[in-house]
Amino acid sequence: MKNLHHRRGFLKLSLASAALPGSALLANALPPPKLGKAEHCIFIWLGGGMAQVDTFDPKRLGDAKSKPPRSGSYYPSIDTAVPGVRVTEHLTRTARLMDRVTAVRTVHHRVIDEHAFATNLVHTGRMISGNVVYPSIGSIVAHQRGPANPDVPAYLLIGYPNVSRGPGFLGAKSGFVYLLDTESGPAGFTRPEDVGAERTARRLALLEPLQDRFPEGSTPADYRAAQTEALRLAGPDFMRHFKLAEEPGRLRQRYGGEFGQRCLLSRRLVQAGVRFIEVSHNLNFVNGTGWDTHNDGQLQQHVLIRELDTALSALIEDLENHRLLDKTLIVVGTEFGRPASFDGGGGRGHQGTAFSLVLAGGGLNHCGAWGVTDDEGKIPVEHPVSLPDFHATIHATLGIHPHADLLDGSRPVPITDGGTPIARLFS
Amino acid sequence: MTRAALTLTSFALFVVSFSTGGNVAAGSLPESSAPGVAPVVVEICEEGLQNMDAWPAQAPAAMETFPVPAFGLNQLPHKYVDDGLRGDRPSPSLVRMSATVSFPPGRHRLLVRARSAARLTVDGKAVVETPFAPKNGGDGSQADTERLVRLDLGPGFRVAPGGEYERTGEFETAGGLLKVGFEVFAGGREGKAPRRVELGETVVAVSWQGDPAWHLLNPAAKPLPYTDAGWEAYQSMVGRQMDVRNAETRSRRREAMQAYWNQRRAGAAAWMAGTPEVPVPVLPDGFSAAAPVDAFIAARFMTVKSQNRPSPGATVDFFRDVRPVLESRCLDCHRGDKAKGGLQLDNLEAALRGGDSGAGFIAGQPDKSELIRRITSHDEDEVMPPKGGRLSGTETATLTRWVQEGAAWPELPMVRSAFTPPADDLTFLRRVYLDTIGLPPATAEVRAFLADPSPDKRVRLIDRLLADPRWADHWMPMWQDLLAENPNILNPTLNNTGPFRWWLHEALLDDLPVDRMVTQLVQQRGSERSGGPAGFRPASQNDAPFAAKGTIISAAFLGLEMKCARCHDSPSGSAKQEQLFQLGALLANQPIDVPATSSVDPAKLTAGGRKALIEVTLNPGSKVSPQWPFPELADPALAPGLAMDPDDSRDRLAALLTAPQNERFAQVVANRIWQRLMGRGLVHPVDDWEKGRPTHPELLQWLGRELVRNGYQTKPLARLILTSAAWQRATDPVLREPDPLYAAPELRRLSAEQVVDSSFAATGKPMKLEPVCLDRNGRRNLANSTDLGVPRRAWMLASLSNERDRPSLTLPRLQAVTDVMEALGWRGARQDPQSIRDTAPNALQPAILANGTMSGWLTRLSEDHALTALVQQNQPVETLVEKLYLRLLTRYPNAGERDRYVAWLRDGYHQRVLADPAPLTDPPRAPMVVTWTNHLQPEATTVKQAEAAAARRGDPPSPKLDPAWRQRCEDVIWALLNSPEMLYRP
Repeated sequence: MKNLHHRRGFLKLSLASAALPGSALLANALPPPKLGKAEHCIFIWLGGGMAQVDTFDPKRLGDAKSKPPRSGSYYPSIDTAVPGVRVTEHLTRTARLMDRVTAVRTVHHRVIDEHAFATNLVHTGRMISGNVVYPSIGSIVAHQRGPANPDVPAYLLIGYPNVSRGPGFLGAKSGFVYLLDTESGPAGFTRPEDVGAERTARRLALLEPLQDRFPEGSTPADYRAAQTEALRLAGPDFMRHFKLAEEPGRLRQRYGGEFGQRCLLSRRLVQAGVRFIEVSHNLNFVNGTGWDTHNDGQLQQHVLIRELDTALSALIEDLENHRLLDKTLIVVGTEFGRPASFDGGGGRGHQGTAFSLVLAGGGLNHCGAWGVTDDEGKIPVEHPVSLPDFHATIHATLGIHPHADLLDGSRPVPITDGGTPIARLFS
Repeated sequence: MTRAALTLTSFALFVVSFSTGGNVAAGSLPESSAPGVAPVVVEICEEGLQNMDAWPAQAPAAMETFPVPAFGLNQLPHKYVDDGLRGDRPSPSLVRMSATVSFPPGRHRLLVRARSAARLTVDGKAVVETPFAPKNGGDGSQADTERLVRLDLGPGFRVAPGGEYERTGEFETAGGLLKVGFEVFAGGREGKAPRRVELGETVVAVSWQGDPAWHLLNPAAKPLPYTDAGWEAYQSMVGRQMDVRNAETRSRRREAMQAYWNQRRAGAAAWMAGTPEVPVPVLPDGFSAAAPVDAFIAARFMTVKSQNRPSPGATVDFFRDVRPVLESRCLDCHRGDKAKGGLQLDNLEAALRGGDSGAGFIAGQPDKSELIRRITSHDEDEVMPPKGGRLSGTETATLTRWVQEGAAWPELPMVRSAFTPPADDLTFLRRVYLDTIGLPPATAEVRAFLADPSPDKRVRLIDRLLADPRWADHWMPMWQDLLAENPNILNPTLNNTGPFRWWLHEALLDDLPVDRMVTQLVQQRGSERSGGPAGFRPASQNDAPFAAKGTIISAAFLGLEMKCARCHDSPSGSAKQEQLFQLGALLANQPIDVPATSSVDPAKLTAGGRKALIEVTLNPGSKVSPQWPFPELADPALAPGLAMDPDDSRDRLAALLTAPQNERFAQVVANRIWQRLMGRGLVHPVDDWEKGRPTHPELLQWLGRELVRNGYQTKPLARLILTSAAWQRATDPVLREPDPLYAAPELRRLSAEQVVDSSFAATGKPMKLEPVCLDRNGRRNLANSTDLGVPRRAWMLASLSNERDRPSLTLPRLQAVTDVMEALGWRGARQDPQSIRDTAPNALQPAILANGTMSGWLTRLSEDHALTALVQQNQPVETLVEKLYLRLLTRYPNAGERDRYVAWLRDGYHQRVLADPAPLTDPPRAPMVVTWTNHLQPEATTVKQAEAAAARRGDPPSPKLDPAWRQRCEDVIWALLNSPEMLYRP
């Protein structure tokens, strides 16, 4: 774009203020953690609650059909690239890559009654208080680090907008740009089908005198600059990042279905300079319930797991081939886990006492799995990891000090609620 | 003419009149039944319905009776309790409708639609029944085909939006006047929990023998086509009658409390008489005043002007250079009564007086000034600020030079040296409409106003707008934000409240005095889940819900920001944690606990480094009793004499909050209204009076007293402001912040609600949205799902709550609008209160306005778009351009704009209306309605995906317009809608 008004930087109008290390209100109680050097984060969201015993924390084989049902994993487990670390058999491809992965098996919280509540908790790392609307982890990262390339937004969401993914008190400038699927393009930046480049130019010619009414230095002139910025983002330079057709057919196949295509798009967005991408795996028609495998939702759960396996392994390999894996932290998030026991309909209920969240890449010193749960996968018996600790680990990987303060007005709010990164991964 | 022929003819007439658009047909409907014909009598029965899934053995007694013109009803009158508050009807309730209807001879078909059990009898014979809704609420996987697959009985048939049972039956008669009885259950139980008491689309329709068309069964001879358009007109007419009925019931209920409020008014009048009036200052020379506030503003302006004469040789400007440093690095601790070390740096007098270490500074002598010594100290225990790094070299030099140059510290900055002139009529018009009813004026209103030569036309217009019911719509967002109204349409867990918006809206509609409104809020009575002020009480999953409510009340009505006190004493303000919990206990009407999760671990406060800035003086686990925590604002001894029930701590709290003796209350409310209209509070920020001192102390006091004098009604107060010269001045376009001396208004960003509502109103595109509801068939229990209805104005939207991330739980049309609103600073989820929204521009705002789905609807010249009719009128193209400008921007185009737009639209203008347009085909209908009970069915996802695609596509363009010219005209509409003028108040 050759435009005099061209202001580089989506964030130019919304400057991120770097937080100062250490909370201003509290004494300097926590020692500064080691920080990583990752530049991007792809946060995969498995809405509904991934059953850790059927995926990354396998236990003895159970039987949903015996009377009474025998608790345990629904599928047999297999060896992985890391000796002693096993996953279930539907994660065959990821199993071969587990040396680039750490399944954190001892994450825990107490919120299991309602998906929205737990989703909020896992995204913000905090319980709601009524005092503050806490920002999502994507918004915090966007706020702290801005985009890696000033010409693109810092935070993209492929999934449905909701308050849990939102910027909270950080305000709209730290919010996401979203798209619902890989076909539709980002909301607001994708022009209607009947508006091509020529019609856009016509429209701008009509808009121009209306913009000219406001003098330089006025607030509407700032808005005009934002209009110019929006126009640039709706133009080919930014929109081409969404054109998956540019990718080789074999690679697209390797990633699998729509969820895989979203992961492939995430890699493109990382290359474009987007800092944080949340990718939702919300294709609940696959088995009816998505990852919320109550009752007969369990029957087709393996289809979901395979889809995850295909896309996740493809993403790890593809990032590695592009030399981006060490710069890109992949997180697999979900609102809670599920018990090893079965419900009356042969599926599984909710469990928060222990569940698995997965980290991959990001330059961390991976170990396949971290933390040990008991035989039922229910209680952490070694290295429990709280949600603030898990969040602190993500922030630290991205070079963000997890104890630094954000400001809600003039009130300091630490980035994590006293979380400590998992030191093992930074050794 | 036979009955059938008559019906057919009228049916055709209806179709014709509806298809031309507008509300022509609505006018032809009977507002009540035809003269001499008894209407359908509706009776609501609430008792004798213990058995939830069987008809009562004896007909229950009617509690309430009202007439409707036909057997069709989609809402019940609200139940009002106490002081005119929305209450809950028992669930289930039974609705009985009866009338005598003239039947022609023949074998007729009858259709019944109802949410749950219903039975229809004609002439004592049972004709149609629907079953009781199952007791479970469904886990999402129900096929539930019966109620969710829509019945379609051929062309013209109204396919219902869904969620009702649909049954047909036949009835043969020799003709004559026959008694028709129709009973329906509203609500019911999910297990033991009550469901919402709603009717859905409850209808008896008839297809007379020989006539395939369906009509609403009614006692008058007039045929009422049961088509989409016919139903729309019918239900909106019944809705208007219902609004009137509801207002009458509210007002009747309030009479019961009138004696108490008369006493309060008398008490307030006595207090006013016993306290000195604030004199209105003499207007300084050279100023003119339209209202008393102008004299206060002019006098203050002159005082500050005299303070702002720069001293010769000064290089540092206090407001430009010094205050930003103090604000960002010093004031958090050194402000107000609780300033650290006793040193306040928020005003000159206190700063000179100094604190524990002596005077803050000595003007002209930086070497002897404590402030300079501390910011340059190398002693780690002394250097200021203690956290967050040293001041930069530039900052230190600025402060030093400022002290050196004499530390000039005027009270306020002079942003402008003179007032701007009065705004012209068009600017005034747009501004006054936007500030009162949240919408721009219609073209006819503009022309009439311009043509009116009378000198008092502005005041008369202000009075008319103050009386407009849309006033309530415009002021809703302020109260929703302030009181953190946060309903969740699904499984409330995110600090959700009930939908007390409906109570708020009625209070604003009725201009309920604000002391009475706050009393009702604090009392928290009426319905919790269906729109009463009891809906303020819940704070789902909050560990200290009443403390959270306390922070809302204290900031909203006392200007005390107590959020910090939720977990510890405020580090900068005076708020102690115990005070907040005392306030919470008053709201709870019982002692409340301090949970460990609402405190700070002492280990974190003491470990390492310098002393923590916060203190915890209330141990977790303590129980705190109700006690008025602000004796300095109101003497608690007033409570027994003022409270409705002195033994109820909520009543005591309400009395002390709203007593005239508590001058803070009236001033805080007046300051909020002032801020909304003038851009900046006399105390800034409006919710934290410890941070700011009043810029105009006498005016503030005067406004507070005026509110009391006017019986705490906010409209007279708004009138005092709107009629002032200060409010009516022309803007200064380069002002970036509101001027604290009000020499000129700034260009103020409109709220998200104003932008959305104005865009729909100005284009005339109907706002066609889904109901804000994920439980379309009312099967879930009241506690777990809410129906917020189909939004008519933007404030009626809410968080769409798809945390489950399921395509089948999306509401794509609502999403198209909330996308715009969120980008413009609206919050769908209001977990905490908010006084001022973020209005900074960002790229997402123009993007969503340029390319978003909502903008597509507004731009596209579809059949139902009001501009489609306008552009077809026979008029010169210049006139069309002028009309478009007036409608959208409330002004005429300037010469350059006119030339460009006329040139653009002239091409093809004379051929724009097609002689022989191809008729539009009806869009395909979804085969089923997706609701909670069936949303996990695979078809639910595909149906919703199709809905999302249809929403994105928008309505098809009108076939009556030449496509090429239509696109040109749409480009014009797009440009006008994307003008910054649509976002900024003139």
